Amino acid sequence: MNGAHDLGGMHGFGPIEREVDEPVFHAEWERRCFAITVAAGFLGRWNIDMSRYARERMEPGEYLRSSYYEHWLHGLQILLVEQGLLTEDEIAARMAELAAERGG
Amino acid sequence: MSDDHQHHHDHDAPLPDTVLRVKALESLLVEKGLVDPATLDVLIDTYENKVGPRNGARVVARAWVDDAYRRRLLDDATKAIAEFGFMGRQSEHMVVLENTPKQHNMVVCTLCSCYPWAVLGLPPVWYKSAPYRARAVMDPRGVLREFGVELDPDVEIRVWDSTAEIRYLVLPRRPDGSEGMDEAALAELVTRDSMIGVGLARSPGAA
Amino acid sequence: MKALKAQDVEHALRNSRGARVDADIPAKFQRGDRVLTRNMHPAGHTRLPRYARARHGTIAHDYGVFIFPDSHAAGEGPHPQHLYSVRFAASELWGPQAAGQDGIYLDLWDDYLDAVPDAAQ
Repeated sequence: MNGAHDLGGMHGFGPIEREVDEPVFHAEWERRCFAITVAAGFLGRWNIDMSRYARERMEPGEYLRSSYYEHWLHGLQILLVEQGLLTEDEIAARMAELAAERGG
Repeated sequence: MSDDHQHHHDHDAPLPDTVLRVKALESLLVEKGLVDPATLDVLIDTYENKVGPRNGARVVARAWVDDAYRRRLLDDATKAIAEFGFMGRQSEHMVVLENTPKQHNMVVCTLCSCYPWAVLGLPPVWYKSAPYRARAVMDPRGVLREFGVELDPDVEIRVWDSTAEIRYLVLPRRPDGSEGMDEAALAELVTRDSMIGVGLARSPGAA
Repeated sequence: MKALKAQDVEHALRNSRGARVDADIPAKFQRGDRVLTRNMHPAGHTRLPRYARARHGTIAHDYGVFIFPDSHAAGEGPHPQHLYSVRFAASELWGPQAAGQDGIYLDLWDDYLDAVPDAAQ
């Protein structure tokens, strides 16, 4: 699809920012996001091409504003819901519970 | 908090509900028996601690000292890399690109972030981000300059956009002054960036 | 459908099957052939980037038969076909200001490519 992910040749992104001694993961949520995505993939309910397409379907502005593992998270939720493994409602409900626990 | 959506880059805080969403998905998946928590720990440990560019560096150092290995690597990279036990996910179809005085290779995945995990680990943020993905195919010399590399103007640059499952590893040129060094010492000179093709291997004695 | 067990992770990662398909499917092209990428704009998944559509390239290498992602992502099956390394002159993609000797290589499948008649090359 002609999505925001198709970046070859685009202008305007500025310098390539590099971090010295960059860690593999920058936050615990990234670790968990990576692991649940790979683990869920092993269920065999989707293939790698489907997983890429799921990430590509992010709204273009959101894609460009968000980070790599946010793309993964977006894609994972699409795949889980499309494959009928989870529902949007139960995800939202769990998020609300967790937010309430956190007092946030 | 309200500015998060305005001006958001990879090093900033995640979007507000991101952390909650990850926790929610993990807890639901575990609850339903779809993922095993111990499996999550192994996956994280594998890519955080066990697999990384030191793997690729060993392959490069071997190719520098052993010409028969270098030829095997160029002929069938997957098989030659597997001699070290490096193999598998996101490295099932390996190709090694040899830099020469006249030819410099650079690897990118403009469409996402495809990268040879088994020999380089997980990719750095810059490789996965828009500036590199956008410019590597269009202005490789400008990108190299940003990384501190200036090539002779007559060098041919080959940029490889990883659009399929072929995964590319650059074989950087062996640095001058490294004659007589053993394989382990040579591996220390091989940087991750040199195996992506945005850098050169380090000179012996350099920082 | 069972969760992958921790003790099976290493084996699963190391023995990943990949995308090559063991099928005797004829190639449309061979090394050296001039090709023109299709002017295609699917709404679904594709691995032909916009910057390389309707562009002339040269087959640099035939990698053999692989799963075709466009159909695979749509749940329409692997539709295996030949995958090639295709070289594009930098000037072909970016215009005459691009460095003359540089090349951009993309890995592209039969279904992305059409032959260029000799006279049109």
